[in-house]
Amino acid sequence: MAEIKNYKVAASPHKLDSSNTRRIMADVLIAMVPCLVCGVVFYGLYALMLVAVCVATCFVSEQIYNLVRKKPYTFDLSCVVTGLILGLNLPPRAPWYIPIIGGVFAIIIVKMLFGGLGKNFANPAATARVFLLLAYSSLMTKYVGADVSNMLAGDVTTGATYLSGGVAAFKDSFWGVSGYWGYVLQLLFGYIGGSIGEACKVAILAGGVYLTARRVIDWRIPVVYLLTASVMVLVCYQSASEILLQLLSGGLMFGAVFMATDYATSPKWRYNRILYAIGLGIITMLIRRFGSYPEGTSLAILIMNLLVPIMDKFILPVRFGELTKSGKIKPQIMQWTMRGICIALVAALVVSTPIVYAAERRRPQEQELPVQYNYIQTMSVDALGNYYFDVKGSLKFDGSDYVQELEYSITLGDGVVQEIEPIKQSTMGYVAEESLFEGKTFAEISALSDLSTDSQTSATRTNTALKGMIEECFIASDAHAGAEALYGGYSYIKGAAQSALFGGNAFLVEGVADLKEYNYQQPLLFYVVIKDAKVETVVPLKQSTMGYVAEESLFEGKTFAEISALSDLSTDSQTSATRTNTALKGMIEECFIASDAHAGAEALYGGYSYIKGAAQSALFGGNAFLVEGVADLKEYNYQQPLLFYVVIKDAKVETVVPLKQSTMGYVAELSLFEGKTSAEISALSDLSTDSQTSATHTNASLRAMILECFEVLGGGAA
Amino acid sequence: MLKSFKKGVHPAGCKDLSAGQKIERGPEPQSVWLPLSQHIGAPAEPIVAPGDRVLRGQLVAKKAEGLSANVYSPVAGTVKGVVGHITVSGKKKDHILIENDFSDESMLLPHLSEVTRESVLARVEEAGIVGMGGAGFPTAAKLNVGGRADVLVVNGAECEPYITCDHRLMLEYTDEILRGVELAMLACGAKSAVIGIEKNKPDAIAALSEKCGGNITVRALRTLYPQGAEKQLVYSCTGRVIPEGKLPVDAGVVVVNVHTAFSIHRAVDLDIPCYERVMTVSGRAVETPKNLWVKNGTPFRALAQFCGGREDCARIVSGGPMMGDSVFSLKICTGKTSSSLLFLDESESEGKVASACIGCGRCVQACPMGLSPTFIEEALFRKDFAEAKRYGASACIGCGCCSYVCPAKRFLTQSVKLAKKIIAERKI
Repeated sequence: MAEIKNYKVAASPHKLDSSNTRRIMADVLIAMVPCLVCGVVFYGLYALMLVAVCVATCFVSEQIYNLVRKKPYTFDLSCVVTGLILGLNLPPRAPWYIPIIGGVFAIIIVKMLFGGLGKNFANPAATARVFLLLAYSSLMTKYVGADVSNMLAGDVTTGATYLSGGVAAFKDSFWGVSGYWGYVLQLLFGYIGGSIGEACKVAILAGGVYLTARRVIDWRIPVVYLLTASVMVLVCYQSASEILLQLLSGGLMFGAVFMATDYATSPKWRYNRILYAIGLGIITMLIRRFGSYPEGTSLAILIMNLLVPIMDKFILPVRFGELTKSGKIKPQIMQWTMRGICIALVAALVVSTPIVYAAERRRPQEQELPVQYNYIQTMSVDALGNYYFDVKGSLKFDGSDYVQELEYSITLGDGVVQEIEPIKQSTMGYVAEESLFEGKTFAEISALSDLSTDSQTSATRTNTALKGMIEECFIASDAHAGAEALYGGYSYIKGAAQSALFGGNAFLVEGVADLKEYNYQQPLLFYVVIKDAKVETVVPLKQSTMGYVAEESLFEGKTFAEISALSDLSTDSQTSATRTNTALKGMIEECFIASDAHAGAEALYGGYSYIKGAAQSALFGGNAFLVEGVADLKEYNYQQPLLFYVVIKDAKVETVVPLKQSTMGYVAELSLFEGKTSAEISALSDLSTDSQTSATHTNASLRAMILECFEVLGGGAA
Repeated sequence: MLKSFKKGVHPAGCKDLSAGQKIERGPEPQSVWLPLSQHIGAPAEPIVAPGDRVLRGQLVAKKAEGLSANVYSPVAGTVKGVVGHITVSGKKKDHILIENDFSDESMLLPHLSEVTRESVLARVEEAGIVGMGGAGFPTAAKLNVGGRADVLVVNGAECEPYITCDHRLMLEYTDEILRGVELAMLACGAKSAVIGIEKNKPDAIAALSEKCGGNITVRALRTLYPQGAEKQLVYSCTGRVIPEGKLPVDAGVVVVNVHTAFSIHRAVDLDIPCYERVMTVSGRAVETPKNLWVKNGTPFRALAQFCGGREDCARIVSGGPMMGDSVFSLKICTGKTSSSLLFLDESESEGKVASACIGCGRCVQACPMGLSPTFIEEALFRKDFAEAKRYGASACIGCGCCSYVCPAKRFLTQSVKLAKKIIAERKI
């Protein structure tokens, strides 16, 4: 036997787990690589430079401290982890000195002065971030929008984050997904402003999964943190859809995975960790919701770090077989409490999310207004179909400079006025009499003739103004409730709807009366209702307040043909009213066309260059097409939008109705096409109608449109 | 889902080295150094003088007053005297040196005329049987509980890596062990017995399950260290918690090792006293890992020679790698509690240098007793022993889980044990 002599003596256990400090730190670094890559891809090489400076600062300052204090150099990578975390916490366009100041603060002040690795009382990166936020507030909150194409440190537009700027920080759609889920996707993939490493949540999650799989971090901290934060969002924001937006915004995910799980500053016992994570979730959301800083993750981590020693000291694991003073086996109070809280949190989330969501749906959602109304400022709708309006107006008094501002909040529901709440009106007692309107329908309110409630005209005027406001609200809700899609970019029509108030097709039309003699563009807004091929009614919403108003009786009850044939639109000696009437005529004609195109609408197969809609025309007989295009007026460097209604009957162009073309006189010459066949139009060689090429361009465009219409018909026949 | 205690660690088993080796006769030593203290309690008192001839199975040292156990000669030969000899702990202790004359003349204990509770207890005491799992508590004292125990827990967990002696015993002496369990139940008055075996020994579970019956059941346990520690085993097998500072009998339980049960059977039915045991000699630094019948008092060097100890041996461990002691000399001899001798090479026994605690809390998650080793160590360094006690230092079972998991490679087990010792000495 060979002599055994070179053995050594050592303390038990003689088997050891394979992990060690450096390997753990290396795992954390590996886990942050995806975050770093995403940060560089989104924010450019400058961001990489910032992170590199931060890591280098942390490493160098730790070694300098060791040199000064005559301690051995440390190569356990923990300072690199601190540097990387802090670097990823910086805004992508921070000045170069920010990571240096932050790194020195983190390593020297927070870590080394308190005893180095494992002895720091608070997370160095979180503390340094809070320090930088306080010392350089404006620099630390200046985020830029993500821009994949801009890899170099070029000028990037400053972008808000969701936490500081709300949904305005988002792009309208992302990967073709718009609205709420588009926002969520943008946050998830980090295509939005934010700190370098906090942007891409997918990368953070990948890092978290890696660290959990390697058993480096305790999954309880991030999971319970996010769970508590979710419930807190429900409590603080009373909103279910806010949960995802809040969780995916700012530094919450990054903090939960990489900063809250920091060993030295998180509790050692798993149930203390749950308590710690619950505290983090509560504090983060309280700061976000009620604090003056938009983001609270770092501060919450810092605050909870300070509570960790107390938790570790006074909340101890129950020992196996530990007895109470009375000699009984000690119950696992902390364990059951924490488990109970977690179950309660999950239950609260699962149960109340749908309830809050339903309540949220019933809360009015602000709607985009298709047109600029006279009085209505905002319009909101809840899930029950109630409309909420903020309306503003003013009263002028003859012979006085005094202008009485009027502001009301009006609620419509079930076809009647539900509530009128004055926000601003006379403080002298000349107030609106709400009982005149509440509970009444549009028809009843329109029919109101006696609005005087007293001998004072002022109150009567207020009532009159309020009546106009309420009528506008009714129209706006009518236009919104029955809203239908529009096929082309019309000149005047901004919205189409099936009117519940009047029956028939209603259109919101907007235009101007060009009062040249006053050098004034009078904005016009009418609600035109067409029923049974006749104008049912025209409701003026915005027109001259000086008396040059449209004469609706000229149009009401008339057909398209009758209105087209109207030649005398003057109703008075004033040309202004005549101009208003002329503008209104054009609008109504457009409404007829739109109504015709819509009523007989047929499905289109395939994508066409010009055709936006096809219909069996009731107005003209034959096949009608809405065609949209542009005349490329190269000499003016202007793309003139064109919209025509082309009707083809018996293989000939029956009529062409121009809906949108040059307002400068370079208009299409319709006689070139009307009554002609496809072949004749193809053969047309001379399209010039004047010495101007612009009109010729329009004609050329129109010819292409018409030929496409013929093509569709030919294809349909075949 | 297997019932098990909470926490603990999963060290690599390394049992394949010797698990397939049938138990064989071990070396016949030239001389044996019989320790007088192979058990907890007072050392036995020698009753032989230098020059006396003794037979295998002859009483050479009588139990002292109180907690103690008889010592029998494992060889036939001549007593050379009572000599001081080193032990694993590093202290010199009294051993009876007997020179083997290789005649192998033997004697037995007188045969028992009837098997009753009293006669079995007396025989267990007479035969010098002690807890063979490692603790060495005299078995007669353990079994004599005056009917306060209703369950006998039999420890076949063998949770330490490498060790396979209990595993082999369960496979090769299944009937004998079950007989020993019956005798132990009779002696302690338990109505039922549970044999707890870690799930990594399915053949042993199958063998015992097949043959056991009546009120003896076999329970498969999760493979988790320290499944075989007394308190953990009782919890895993019966769901009972032994109160802190109390004995298993306070929870109505008596715990014996499978090897102890086997020894009870040998003493009662075959009249053989306790002077030899099955040991595992394993590790990558021996040519042929084996499970051996080893006589008490055999020097470690004889075992190294018998199994082919290699030059690249980097560490020798008496007992399991988690709790066993590092051996500093091959002159040291085996005893009744020596379950294994491991010859580990460089790859199996990396050295460690303690670095700063990073506060990961893994020791807290691993401690099966629910202590906070890192805080105990911190308190120890501050000499704040009251604080160390508050963190539970007194309840340490020394299993080594905290040191095993520590990524900073700190000597946590030693710190906690030291704190426990000081707290006990100063009665804090």
